[in-house]
Order: sequence, then C-alpha cells, then structure tokens
Amino acid sequence: MSEDKRVAIVGQPPLAIIRQLEAEQAEIIDLDMPMPGVRLDEAALCLPKVYCAILRAVAANAVCLRPRRIYIDVGRGKCDGAAHLATILRHALPECAVIACENRDAKDFSTPRCLTEMPLADKMQAICASVVSSAAHPLFPACHPTVGFWGVPPRDFSLLTLFPDTTHVFGWARCLENKTPDNDRLEALFDPEIPTVFFAQSFCAKSALARHLASLHRRALAVDSDEAVGSSGRAKIQAFLELNGVL
Amino acid sequence: MLLADFGTSYVKLMAPGEAAPRLVAAKDAGGIHADLATGHNGQRHCQRYINELTALARGGGQLIREDSYTLLDCGSRDIKFVRYAAGCLRDMGWNTECGASMGFTIELLARYYQLDYREMAVPRQTFSVTCGVLGMSHIFDAVVAGASEAEAVARFVKGIALNAFTFAGSPEKLYLSGGLCDNPLFVRSLPCQVISLGRFVLLEGLKASVA
Repeated sequence: MSEDKRVAIVGQPPLAIIRQLEAEQAEIIDLDMPMPGVRLDEAALCLPKVYCAILRAVAANAVCLRPRRIYIDVGRGKCDGAAHLATILRHALPECAVIACENRDAKDFSTPRCLTEMPLADKMQAICASVVSSAAHPLFPACHPTVGFWGVPPRDFSLLTLFPDTTHVFGWARCLENKTPDNDRLEALFDPEIPTVFFAQSFCAKSALARHLASLHRRALAVDSDEAVGSSGRAKIQAFLELNGVL
Repeated sequence: MLLADFGTSYVKLMAPGEAAPRLVAAKDAGGIHADLATGHNGQRHCQRYINELTALARGGGQLIREDSYTLLDCGSRDIKFVRYAAGCLRDMGWNTECGASMGFTIELLARYYQLDYREMAVPRQTFSVTCGVLGMSHIFDAVVAGASEAEAVARFVKGIALNAFTFAGSPEKLYLSGGLCDNPLFVRSLPCQVISLGRFVLLEGLKASVA
C-alpha cells in the first residue's frame, strides 16, 4: 500500500466517510490506537504533557506518520479536545489535509462483540478494529454476563486482562461498535444486576459521567488511568472483582 | 499455616499455635516465607498472595459489626480505604503515589528531631500536605519562619491526617488500621470519630481468606 493511499481517522467519522474511503481503496489508519515504535513524547510538539493519553497518542501518531489526510470527529461523539487538536494539527502538519467532521449517525449497527464471551482485551481490540470498516458485524452469541466494563477503550489494554471473558462492555466503547458515537442514551446504559467497573481516561471529561453512573449503581467502581494503569489501579480492579465474587 | 503482611517498615506475622500476631522489622525479615501473604513486599515471599485491598476489606468484615462503614489503612508507604454501605462495597481507593511515604516520613521525623508524638498537642494550624516527601519542605520553611521543630512537625502530621481523611471520603466515623493507629497525634488530628483497629487488620483478612 503506497503512502498516498493511507488516510487517517480520529474518533469515529460518519459511516458515509468510511464507505467513501473504502471506495477509494484507502488504507484507513486509526490514530487513536497505539502504534508500534511511536512514543507519546512525540506529542509534545502539539499538546501539553498533562493531557488525555488518547489525544496525545493521536498527536504522536499523526506527527510520526504524516498522513496526507486526517478525518477527525470533532462533534459530541468524540470530545472538545479533538476539536482543539484538529486546529493544532492543521498548523503542525501543513502538508496534511485535516478534515473536521461530526458523526451524527443514529442508526444502530448492533453490538455483538460487547456481549459475547471473549477475552476482554481481544473484544476491545476487535471493536476498535471494526471502526475502519463499513461491513456488517459478524454474528457472535451473547453470553451470560458476570461483570460489566463501562467506558472508552483504554490507552493501556493490560487493565482489561484482569476481567473474565464473560464481561459485557458498556459506555462509549459500546457506542463505537454500534457506530453511533454520539448516543447519550446508549452511553449511559449499564446493567444494574452485575458489578461494573466504570472506567475513564485521566483528564477526560467522561470521568465525570463515569463517577456519576457509578454512584447510581449498587456494585460499582469508578477508576481512571493515564498512560499505563498503575499497581494501585490494577489492585483496585482486582479487589473489586474478588470482593464481588467475580474472581 | 504462616500468614504474613509484608509492610514497608514492619512484617506482621501470625503463626499457628501463637496466641497473638508478631511484629518484625522488615529489614530483619528477609528469610521469612509465608503460606499466605499480603503487603507490597509480599509477592516474593509466599506461596499464595492476596492483594492488600482485598485483605483490608476482608479484615474489616471480620472486625467491624456494622454494615455501613469506612475503613482507612495508614501504613508506612501508602494509604488505602474501603467503604461499605448496607453491606455492599461502595468505594475503595489506594494511594501509592500522592499519599506515598506518609507513615515512613512521620516516623523518620520523630527520630530525627527526637520527638514523642504521645506528648504533642494537635496544633491549630496545619500544612497542606499530600505527600510525605514533598511535605518536608513545609517543615523547614516553618522552622525558618520561627516555629519550633515540634510545632512544625505537628502541623505536618495534622496535614497528613487531613489529607488521609479527605482521601477516605470525609466520613463522620472512621475505622482506622495500620501503623499510624499507634500515633496519638495523628489519630487526634483526624477531624471525626476514630475507632482504631490496630496494625493487624490485614492479617485478619488473610485469616478470613483461608476460613
């Protein structure tokens, strides 16, 4: 694949844009995801050191990859930070077309991976990988859940390895698989019958929603982590799962 | 079955046939290998390990007769808490970074300045302290500004206590565990009703884990 065919996305651009890129036979690269060999320090050119690790990854990836085009969701389906980053990237990468878009897609695309039995890290990886495709989701059988994970795909997927395979996914990650990232109703959904970890990236506005929803749930833990989940964050999740009889 | 809580400064041991738990300085505990252990230093010295928050919660469950409570553990290196409401775990926290080294620093200061916390009054003023190490500079500044060493250290201890209290969610009543239970200045500096459970709560949690 030539470099000209590489088009980057940030957040989840509207399905119409994904279909257009597929028609162009573009290689779609998700800048939100960690990339081999790219250090978060590379984001220092664009962003403060103390900032959302996902957006720092976007900036670092963009600076290292220098794609010709970046489609960046600057609507409510992503965050204000992405809108600011679009402005910054236009200055930092003048040769790159930074195209702001707002995903208002409202048609449910289904969420089979969120509900199936699978190692949570694999499940989240598959959900993130589905963002760059307009193809219908494969069918996965739903499992009986023993615990819930509410939140965004974390910067550090290792925290997901603490959860059992029977974890159901809620929050923005679920909106992502449903291809409706701006969906307040779906984002606020949780299962009150299963213990649930409400996760947000540090410095993300969603941490307020995570805390609020956790306060409405009888068996909940609100946690956040930045670049890497620390030993105390890991221990909190492990203890929460043990004390609720999940592990 | 040998149970052990491998803390930073002290190892707490409960051996079969012994009437009460034992305390061993961590520097003298290198050869100890437990059947079941907790504590940040424990993973290398045991057959089976239970994380400290789980041990704290289970220990609290054994010792506290209420079903709604906050239990805060203040040790040498870190602070951690669990909060239960109507028998359900509602919140927990473990601060190994910003709350780091509080107990260790308090003990160090007493030795350095030759102070006895049993004889010190709770000061009116306090320092804004979130970390034992960073808080030290407040002490030096206060002494330079004319405060006695004892007064400066007391303000530091009060600041540490207020920080721990806030971290635990500012409850009206607090169950306290860990080494700082034995520090009367720290306990009196907490602005709420305090019930000290002592140093061995995590060992009780280990006992509950094997029951």
